[in-house]
Formats: sequence, structure tokens, C-alpha cells
Amino acid sequence: MEKRIYPNLNEQIFWDRLPNGLQIAVVPRPGFSKKLAYFVTDYGAIHTEFTMDGVPYKTPAGVAHFLEHKMFDLPGRDVSAEFAAYGATPNAFTGYDLTAYYFSCTDNFDPCLRLLLEFVSTPYFTDESVAKEQGIIGQEIGMNEDNPDTRSFEMLVEGIYRHHPITVPILGSRESIAQITPAVLNACHKAFYRPGNMLLCVVGDVDPETVRAIALKALPSTDDTAVTRQEQWLEEMTCPEDFQNANMEVAMPMFHIGFKSECPEKGEAAVRAEVVGDLAAEVLFGESSALYLRLYEEGIIDGSFGGGFETVDGMALLTLSGDSDYPEKVRQAVLEEAKRIVKDGVEEAAFLRMKRSALGRRIRDLDSFDATAFRVCAYYFSGFDYFDFPRIYRDVTVPEILEFLQRVVTEQRCSMTVISPKGA
Amino acid sequence: MIKTITLLPGVTLRCFQDKRFKHAFMSLQFVREAVAEEAALNALIPAILLRGCEDARDLRDITLRLDDLYGASVGALVRRIGDYQTTGFSVSFIDDAFALDGDAIFGPMMDFVKSLLLKPLLENGVFRADFVEGEKKNLIATIESQLNNKRAYTMSKLLKKMCAKDPFGLPRLGETEQVAAITPESAYAHYEKVLAESPVEVFYVGAADPETVAQTVTPLFADLTRNAADLPAQTAFVTCGGGEFTEIMDVSQAKLAMGFATPITLRDPRFAAMQVCNTILGGGMTCKLFMNIREKMSLCYDIGSGYYGSKGIVTVSAGIDQSKETVVRQEIMRQLDAICQGDITEEELEGAKQWLQSGLRSTHDSPGAIEGYYSNSCINGFHMTVARHQQAIAAVTAEQVAQAAKTLTLDTVYFVKGAQ
Repeated sequence: MEKRIYPNLNEQIFWDRLPNGLQIAVVPRPGFSKKLAYFVTDYGAIHTEFTMDGVPYKTPAGVAHFLEHKMFDLPGRDVSAEFAAYGATPNAFTGYDLTAYYFSCTDNFDPCLRLLLEFVSTPYFTDESVAKEQGIIGQEIGMNEDNPDTRSFEMLVEGIYRHHPITVPILGSRESIAQITPAVLNACHKAFYRPGNMLLCVVGDVDPETVRAIALKALPSTDDTAVTRQEQWLEEMTCPEDFQNANMEVAMPMFHIGFKSECPEKGEAAVRAEVVGDLAAEVLFGESSALYLRLYEEGIIDGSFGGGFETVDGMALLTLSGDSDYPEKVRQAVLEEAKRIVKDGVEEAAFLRMKRSALGRRIRDLDSFDATAFRVCAYYFSGFDYFDFPRIYRDVTVPEILEFLQRVVTEQRCSMTVISPKGA
Repeated sequence: MIKTITLLPGVTLRCFQDKRFKHAFMSLQFVREAVAEEAALNALIPAILLRGCEDARDLRDITLRLDDLYGASVGALVRRIGDYQTTGFSVSFIDDAFALDGDAIFGPMMDFVKSLLLKPLLENGVFRADFVEGEKKNLIATIESQLNNKRAYTMSKLLKKMCAKDPFGLPRLGETEQVAAITPESAYAHYEKVLAESPVEVFYVGAADPETVAQTVTPLFADLTRNAADLPAQTAFVTCGGGEFTEIMDVSQAKLAMGFATPITLRDPRFAAMQVCNTILGGGMTCKLFMNIREKMSLCYDIGSGYYGSKGIVTVSAGIDQSKETVVRQEIMRQLDAICQGDITEEELEGAKQWLQSGLRSTHDSPGAIEGYYSNSCINGFHMTVARHQQAIAAVTAEQVAQAAKTLTLDTVYFVKGAQ
């Protein structure tokens, strides 16, 4: 395995790619009890259309998430109970562009890792179990419909994108999941749960070679399925809707504002674009910005206000959200402040301070096993080594920030959603 | 492991030195007896203090100082622990070793926290009116936005109804009307009282040694005129008679919350049996409620139970189709009854114990988890360590779990459902 050392972060990471294509990353944490393993596929809610071995597939919305639920079934066995017997807790989540399965434990790491690799790589779907899951996920959809934050974000992306599949909710709908069958699940599993499409990331006091040996034995030795899928969606830099409103059981109005950005390329360029987007958000409306202070002191925003730069395969978006009685004032103030900053510039000293702060927060996050594992995985699929982040922060310049604000924070790229209380 | 140092009368420092971490986490808590009249004041004061002090006169100055300290953070900390409410700050910052060019962070950070705590900006001898009004509005918004999360909302309504005569029912942040009634004068008078009278619990987790921490933290409190009195001991739950409550709301999914009373608190020798009992019933993905009501019957997406050991309350909550209320409730009671009857498999018992053990073992792997465990344990009167806790869990038998389950009596039910 290749060992890379990051002296400034006091970190090291072992990388390897198995002959079957599986990528492995091990982040040692000597002296810690907890061990965490993430087994992640580069497949999420947006990947509903693909071609496998020359055959085109169009799958129902919500299938990646449905598959995530069903992977926990093994014939005649109870995966959760087996983990529980080892004192471990397995879990999983589905994002727009990846699905992650993970467990944490303190003892019995080796059998837990074998079990994780086994259940995620073993498809077992029956008509009966699919029907049962439709009931459970139907309840999850109901729960989501009552969540104003999720609803507001889903409306926002509908208002911004014409073609990108992020407009389809991760859970799908009751109608779309009704179309899911064992055959659909088997096809998606075959296409995306191949070793060559996956990453295994372990954080903890473990032996990297043991991880490698377990993975080598537990997974298929070859991967010869050919899959292609759409990676880019042609999007004009304008929004189909600039404003949408809905009423829900909330206490005060809640808003989401989004600014559509060009989709960054893969690799270091993507990470640099993300850092530029993050620092631009910090300069524009971060807690040390003039705008934040003014809006907070005027009572237009409160502690719930926040935002940042979000990227999903094929799209990137600057978002702000929070509770406010005056969402339109927030939108206007952000647009005006971006123009002012572009005109007046950003002081070098202030910019350095912001970089230092953002860097310090990322270093603190390294004490979290979950944050570390998640970032290593997400950055890997973007084609970047996460622990290189200090270098990117050092290199980003003020002109890049100003160029971003001038290009992205404009009226025509802006869309807003507001969730208002019932009866308002 | 934990070094306890009395810095000054009524000011206790608990120090957990651990060089594995890249950052330090601290809590500074003034401990109050929870009473309805004070809840909102205790919640508001740290928020006012974090608006500005003599050394950093507005939010921007505060953030700039924290940015200079490598993205350090200081936040309002308000907890409800049994009969007590705490008010103060949580503080976190990277270890000096990771600063560039030998910059110091811990010392300057404590100077800054002292300033925030003890040198607020005043006008006419009390807090600035604009800070007070602004933070009142924010606190009210936070209290009211609890409605946005229907599961947490239903749970807080359950506890409020169930504990109508017990301080445990007091909401952590107070009530909207109490916040609205606060003036700069009343807030400042309460602040002075809190500083003078309350026992103080300071917790530090990080790489520094206890002597250095004591030296660095003592100046925070050295100038205070203190007259701290001991608090009355924590008490067990007292029922007000319970009942069944239904609230109609425009929701797609109904929320069911059930509250059970037990005389077993964390201070009772049977606490470990009750923790295992709660885990078998509704903890994790192998518990009886999840396996039966979700996996076998497909009646819900989320279901689980919780044990409020500081009081002796077990709650069950679930998001369900409202037409299924009766069948879900019957099944919950059936599963609890099974535990009472000793219908507990070896796998269930061992799985629950392993689950609890695993959580306990990883407590020592994160600064926040260490602070949370030990600080709550001390303030609760639990005075437990992870090692002793593990021994207690390991010794629990199925018979003890059944006995613990038999002490549970259904007290209150709260149900939120749609109009039809």
C-alpha cells in the first residue's frame, strides 16, 4: 500500500487499489478505541439513467435510496443483529451523488468489516420484501413532507435547474417507488455496486494490510461490467423560477436563496472551486462580514442564518438559508453587497484572517472520525486527496473571490423559496 | 483520568488531559436550580454576553478575534440536567501545537472568554437595550421554531404534560411570554446573581496538563465576589396524574409519544438494568420496537425509546400513519409486556449490552463526548466513570431487566395528527 504523510496535519493515509478496481483508504488513529469503516458507492439519487453492457436503463426516482434500505437483507439472516452481537452499529445514507454504508465499533473490527463488505455486495431482493419496504419508505416520505427545511431546499433546486436531475427528491415519491421491483434493484446493484465503482475508507487504530487482505477475500475478484451514465447536463445560467412560496406548519417564515454556478471540473480544479466558493460565501455573508453584522443587528436575520457552496455531480450552487420575517430584504442586501465588494475589493489582511479561520475549523474537524471518513470519500470521488486541503487554502487569491462574486451573485442566477406559516 | 481541582470556593475544574486530540473543548457552566421564573433569563444571558464586550464591541469584532485564534469558537451553553438548568459557554479551539509560527491560542482564548463573561457592554449600569431586545427576538424565534421538527415538538409537549408538577417539565429555553417580559434591568440583575451565587463547573478536555489549565482558567473567576450555596440534591420523578392528549396539526405523518414512569434513576443501583431494558425495547436497529413495528409490520419509518435517567422516565416515540394509532400502541405495550415476562433472548440481551458498551468505549474518543459524559454525570449526581459504568452493564442479567421493566407504568400519551 502507498503511504502518504502530511506532517503539518500530523496525519497519514494508506492508499491502494485492488486488482478488481476497489479503492482502499486507511487513516490510522493510534491509541483510539473507536474504529469506523465507510463503504461507499459513486452512485446516488441523481443517477437514474445509465447504460450497462450496451443496454439503456431508465429507473424510477428514489431507487438509490430504496436500494440502500434493501441492502441490509441477506437470505435467512439479520444483518443488524449480527452487527449488534459484535457490539457494532451499522447505518447508511443516500446522497444526491453517493451512497454510503458504515459501521463503528470498538472490538471485533475484522468480522464487522467482513460483514459490511458482504452485505453491501450481496443482492437479495424478493417481491415480499420490496412491498414491505414500500410501506416503510412511504412513512419516511410522509416525515419528509412535514420537514420544512427539506421541502424548501427541494423547491429551491426545482426553481434553479431545468435539466439537472437534482430536482428529483432523494426519496422519490410514493408513485415512483411503487414502480420499483427486484429486477430494477438487481440492475442498479450490478451497475453501481461493482468494486471498481466503490471506495472503502477506514479510520481507526487498525492495520492497513489487514483491511486490504479482508477486502481482497470478501469481494468479487474481477469487475468487467461496462457502465456509462450522463455526467453533464446542459444548463443555462438562468433560473426557471425566481420566487416560490409555500405554507406549512412553521413558526416563522423560512427562506432558501440559491445562486446558480457553473459546474466545476473534476480533480484539483473542483476542490479549488469549492474553496473559492466557500471563502466567497465567508467574505459575502460569513459571521465576520459587514453584511452579516448589519442584518443581524437590524433583526432581519438570526442565529439560524447560514450558507455555503454546495456541489453535486454536474452542478454547483451558492446557498443561504434561515428564518426571517423579511426574506426579500435579505435577497436584496446580498445582491447589493456582492456588487459593493466587487467594486471596493477585499483587504488582504482580512482575507488572510478568514483563511486562517476556515483552515482552523477544518483541522478541528479531523478530530471527528465521521467527518474525516466522509470527506476522504467525497473528495476521492471528486478526484482529490482530502488531506491536501491546507495547500489549496494557502493558494487561493482575492481576485478569484471577486471574479466568483461578480459572475455568480447576480439577479438572473438567483432563485428564492419561502415557507410561510399557515394562515399567514 | 479526570483530575478535579477546586479553583475557588464553589468553582470546580474537571480536567481530562488527552494528547491525541488536535483541539480542546471546554464548558463553563453556572448551575442553577430549575425554576419557571428563571428559565428564560438563564437561556438569554449567554446570548446577550456574546453580542459584545469591552474588548470586542460588536459581533464582527468578536468573530475577528475568533478568526485570529484559528477559527476558535465560543457558544451559548444552556442545559437542562434533572432538576437543574445550567447557563454559560462552550469553547473550542485548536491546540497550540497546530498554530503557525508558535502562536499561542489557549491563553489568549481564556483572556477573551473572561472579557466576554465579565466585561459586557453596559448603558445606564445595565445591559445594552438593543442587545437585549435583539436576543429576546432570536430566543423567541428559536423557541417557536421547535414546531418545525415535529418529532422533537411532540416529545417536548409530552414531557411538559407529564412533568406539570416536576421541574423536569420546564423547557430548556423557557417560554415565549417569559422571554418577552425580560428587561435590560431584570437581565442584568439576574446576571449578577448568577455570577455571585451559582456553583460553577468548568470542564476541560485537551492536550494541556491540569496544572497549566488551572493556572490559565483561575483568573476568569479570581475577581468575582462569590457567595455560592450548595444546590439541593436531584430528585426522582413525581407524577401529576398523567393523561392522554391529542393535538391536531396540518401534517402528513402523525407523531406518537408515550411517557412511562419508573422509580429507577441513574442514582439507583438498578440503573444499568434499566438502561439495558430501554435498549432492548427501543434502542438501535435490533430492538423489539424496531424489529416488530417497523420491520415485521411496516407500520412506521422511525421508532425508538429513550431513558431519562436523571429523572426516571422512559419515552417511546414513533412517526406513524394516524389510522394505525391503536394498533401501534397495542404493539408497543405488547413488546414491553414481553420484556416484563422475561421474554428476552440471549441475542437481545447480549446485543443490547454490546451496544451500550460500544457507546461507552468510544466516549473517550471525542472531546465533546468526554465533556458530555462526565460533566452531565457530575451535575446529575451520578458520579460515574466509563469503566465502572461498563462493569455495571456487563453484570446485568435478563431477570434484572425484567424486574426493571416491571417498574414502568404508562403515565402520559401525546399524539399529534392531521385533521381528517
